Amino acid sequence: GESCSYRRCIYNVVLLCLCFLSACVRSVREVLSVSAPELQHRLALLSLREVKELHAAAAAACRSSPPVTALQLARGECPSLEPGHRLSLACPVLDNLLRGGLPLRGITELAGESAAGKTQFALQLCLSVQYPQEHGGLGSGAVYICTEDSFPIKRLRQLITQQARLRPNVPQALIRSLRFSDNIYIEHTADLEALQACVSQRVPMLLERGLVRLVVVDSVAALFRTEFQADEAIERARHLLAFSSTLHRLSHTHAAPVFCINQVSDVVDGPNPGRCDYGLVDSKVQPALGIAWANQVMVRLMLWRQEGCLRSGGRTSAPRRLEVVFAPHLPRASCLCGVWEEGVRAIPDEDLGEELQTTS
Amino acid sequence: MQRTVASSPLAPSVKVKLIHFGFHTAADLLDVQPLQLCKEAGISQDEAVEVLQTLRGDAQSDQQEAASESVTALDLLHQEQIHSGVVTFCSELDAVLGGGVPVGKTTEICGAPGVGKTQLCIQLAVDVQIPLCFGGLGGKAVYIDTEGSFVVQRVVDMAEAAVEHCTLLAEDEEQRKALEEFTKEKILSGIFLIRCHGYVELLAEAYLLPDFLAKHPEVRLVVIDSIAFPFRHDFDDLSQRTRLLNGLAQKLILLATQHSAAIVLTNQMTTKVSDGQSKLIPALGESWGHAATQRLILHWDGPQTMMLPTPCFAVSKGELPTLQTLGRPVLKGTSPVKLLYDLCPMLYLSFTMLTIFS
Repeated sequence: GESCSYRRCIYNVVLLCLCFLSACVRSVREVLSVSAPELQHRLALLSLREVKELHAAAAAACRSSPPVTALQLARGECPSLEPGHRLSLACPVLDNLLRGGLPLRGITELAGESAAGKTQFALQLCLSVQYPQEHGGLGSGAVYICTEDSFPIKRLRQLITQQARLRPNVPQALIRSLRFSDNIYIEHTADLEALQACVSQRVPMLLERGLVRLVVVDSVAALFRTEFQADEAIERARHLLAFSSTLHRLSHTHAAPVFCINQVSDVVDGPNPGRCDYGLVDSKVQPALGIAWANQVMVRLMLWRQEGCLRSGGRTSAPRRLEVVFAPHLPRASCLCGVWEEGVRAIPDEDLGEELQTTS
Repeated sequence: MQRTVASSPLAPSVKVKLIHFGFHTAADLLDVQPLQLCKEAGISQDEAVEVLQTLRGDAQSDQQEAASESVTALDLLHQEQIHSGVVTFCSELDAVLGGGVPVGKTTEICGAPGVGKTQLCIQLAVDVQIPLCFGGLGGKAVYIDTEGSFVVQRVVDMAEAAVEHCTLLAEDEEQRKALEEFTKEKILSGIFLIRCHGYVELLAEAYLLPDFLAKHPEVRLVVIDSIAFPFRHDFDDLSQRTRLLNGLAQKLILLATQHSAAIVLTNQMTTKVSDGQSKLIPALGESWGHAATQRLILHWDGPQTMMLPTPCFAVSKGELPTLQTLGRPVLKGTSPVKLLYDLCPMLYLSFTMLTIFS
């Protein structure tokens, strides 16, 4: 009866411990990676039924969270899986384009030609993340990894002084109380090894301590393009995969958005079925690093510099088009934006006629 | 055909002892009592009881199973016709699939990033819940997300569009009555999300799914998005990866047939260079190509017809969103928030079918 099953239970536990010690099956990963007959062969004292129970127990131990319904997620009942808010870009039109801002988990990429204004976006995000959640930020700092030029410190200082102008809805007292430059950690990595080391050691430490909740890589293409020759594609793909999987893991563990700036490469020949163009028709450029990198990116944005001139309140700026290339929750859409003294601001469609003027 | 001790699912140490003491087949154990076996073979009483149960039970059930197991091909055809697939409500896609994503089989969806694999999967998770009177299966869905691309906002959009679509289609009393229960909240509550980080958690889910499906028999669709992502990095030993993938494929096919569920897997694309030319092929290797019953490859169809490769955002079926050329402002009317249910017919599907006879 009951004492018999109790005895059997103790017997099973002792048996399993002995089995593990003898067969050196050290981890849940080993148990799950091995098929039932193989496991039975290794742990000679167990029958097939017991091995199946062992698999089930290991699997249950491995599961990080039980299944939830989409309704629970939509209602905000599982903040660890669906936080319910995003990182704002500090401009309502841009936030509307991205349906709230950058997702907290996953890699967002911004690709564009040089001088398109990609770094401007990155700097704006580094400031935006420091605001509290009710103003679209995450209440924490940012780590900025520079791989090519040196960090634009003068521009950052200019943006900090103009924050009140960029964000008129936020109380002045709050803006004055934030010590923006103290919370941006700048890392310069000159080669691939330094980049890997930074991302595996320094960045996790900053994230774990809660000092940062945004990781910016400017740019991801630079080091991968220079250190690998054209025929070392496989080697490059392997390094890219290792790098992006580290970023992906960090992003998901700490709910910290990762913002990667990417360069573009020219489209030399016409449409080529061997090359994926992500549906960018009539485009002379496409994001660099190929499909190996594109597979790791969740949200891909492209920035195009355009002809003409945008006017706003007596100032002018070259217009840029920010386009959503792909994202799981966004349609293909774009908006026009300009880079001003206080930062990047987009023009809503309704005001487009007045503000856009092309030079003849 | 007698069951031999060596081939039975007993513990190897017990088998060795039985064979050593002369018990080779089930016939040898026919008239033996547990206590007697215990003394003769030197095993414990519990083990002796288990041995006798296993071997004698097998002998009886084998005979019964042999009589009832065989099914004619005609029966199978009837079964397939009754269990229709998960329809997508895009006629071209359903036509290519032969009536929707088939139940009881595994379907693999491959494509480049951004072509719409996740969109199709979420669409299917919503479509499987459409009531029977509208042509759906009225079942629930399990969505295993390994990449983190399941965004609930999008699911809410699609659920609303599905309810709207069915409201427009409702003709008779039965459909109107079913519509009362077919709400956005019900659709959302019918999708179970499981997030896996890494291949170990995915393997663990594969072991836990049969129990979950047994507890929730109304589940008709299991989506794994994507199966490539966790298996493409951290693997130095490719032969182990092949072994694990094959094992996983076997478990999924078994799950599909036992629980009459449709299993959908998404795969990534990778570049293959052959004869100086590079082309895109599905990832995970050659042997994985045989794992799924059906394989769908999605790609854009040339420069003219490619436009919005995210089909679920088409404003209405048949109306082509215009090309956004550089320099022109975004045209009004392409509001991203409200979206319809139909898949854009411009999405070109290349259909490769590999059937595995099990």
